[in-house]
Amino acid sequence: MLQNNPINIIRKGIIIRGSLSGGGDLVVEGQIEGQVDLKNHLTIETTGKVQADIRAEQLTINGEASGNIDASSKVSINASASVNGDIRAPRIVIEDGAIFNGSIEMDVKLPDDI
Amino acid sequence: MANTIIGSSIVIDGEISGDEDLVIQGTVKGRISLKESLYVESSGIVEADIDTQNVEIAGRVTGNIVASDKVELKADCRVIGDIKSPRILIADGAAFKGNVDMDIKD
Amino acid sequence: MAVKNQSMFSNNTVVGPSILISGRLSGDEDLTVRGRVEGEIVLSHTLIVEESGIVKANVEVKHAIVSGVVVGNIRATECVELTPGGRMVGDIVSPRVMIVDGASFRGRVDMGEAQGPREAQERPATKPSYTAYAPRFSSALRPPSVPRPPLRSASPPAPLQRPAAPRPMPVQRTVVTAPPPAVASPPEHLPSDADEDSADAKPLPPEPPVLMDVNKKKVVVKKKK
Repeated sequence: MLQNNPINIIRKGIIIRGSLSGGGDLVVEGQIEGQVDLKNHLTIETTGKVQADIRAEQLTINGEASGNIDASSKVSINASASVNGDIRAPRIVIEDGAIFNGSIEMDVKLPDDI
Repeated sequence: MANTIIGSSIVIDGEISGDEDLVIQGTVKGRISLKESLYVESSGIVEADIDTQNVEIAGRVTGNIVASDKVELKADCRVIGDIKSPRILIADGAAFKGNVDMDIKD
Repeated sequence: MAVKNQSMFSNNTVVGPSILISGRLSGDEDLTVRGRVEGEIVLSHTLIVEESGIVKANVEVKHAIVSGVVVGNIRATECVELTPGGRMVGDIVSPRVMIVDGASFRGRVDMGEAQGPREAQERPATKPSYTAYAPRFSSALRPPSVPRPPLRSASPPAPLQRPAAPRPMPVQRTVVTAPPPAVASPPEHLPSDADEDSADAKPLPPEPPVLMDVNKKKVVVKKKK
């Protein structure tokens, strides 16, 4: 089932206010305000704006996001992205050119003697 | 070959310790303790007590020096402080003020 | 002999793998850390923490490249890069921050999102703001540590691009309040500065009553003594 998840697209011009949850991948070209709880991969395209606390397995941001992010695998903040909020994920990537303000929480393995 | 170089514009205020050669071209204030050789080059300024195996000084050192092997004061260096080492070389032209202790035992 | 040493080593500062420096390290050249530095690092150039390097310090540099371990805060005027092996715990303040896959980080990131004055004045109000492109230009243009005055003259164009009204306001207010003493009232202002010093010798009739009062009080005090 999960392997064949359909890709959902919120097109440009669409605004969703409220809470959004479910399985499957989601691509946002429009706007979401509220809360997002997704089992799979959320992509915010360059035209997309998400003003919400986000939970997802994986998150790719090319547009704007503001709110706290909790991802179980990876968050990619690409060069065109602008992100405000706190992020928790095992892997977080911030590309050169991206704008990010907030805190990041990854598991950091430090040497014992520090 | 030395691994550690403190470049000429660098100022360190604190303590340096380690097991490798150290070259100082900049300024170090505080303490230096090494198990290998210390080179204070002509641009180097050291205001620190030094505890090492070998020291070669071409720059300025203010502080006491203890070397387990050798201390070499090169021409044009300027050293103020006591030196304790089994072997001490002072070149012609070196400026030095302090006591020398070569730790001679009967 | 000294010359031999001089030419033997490059002019780049390297802290070797077995070296521990604790204290304050400052300078105007690149610093490569393969060993350990604890305390404080202030450089006008680049700090490179290599895989074996450990920095447990507050760092102020132009550019930081972390492939090893940093525990402490980094403030960079240009850029902070965490490479695949880089591990850092602490806060980053820098207009550009890169974290690549494989790097690990815990702490805050502050890219200063927009003009310098706004950053300083409005940080307490943590209302999220959508500032897509205007801030990137301005942050690319200025090193954040540059003093305020040049920023003021540079910033007015930026608020114009931004529709949100409340945020630009404080900036404009400072622009308005700051210049007038210098621009609008130079004839009044300059003499009044001079009054402070020369009032005792030569009581000048003109304006500032406040200053006159101050001077009178001073005289009274002297008499009591």
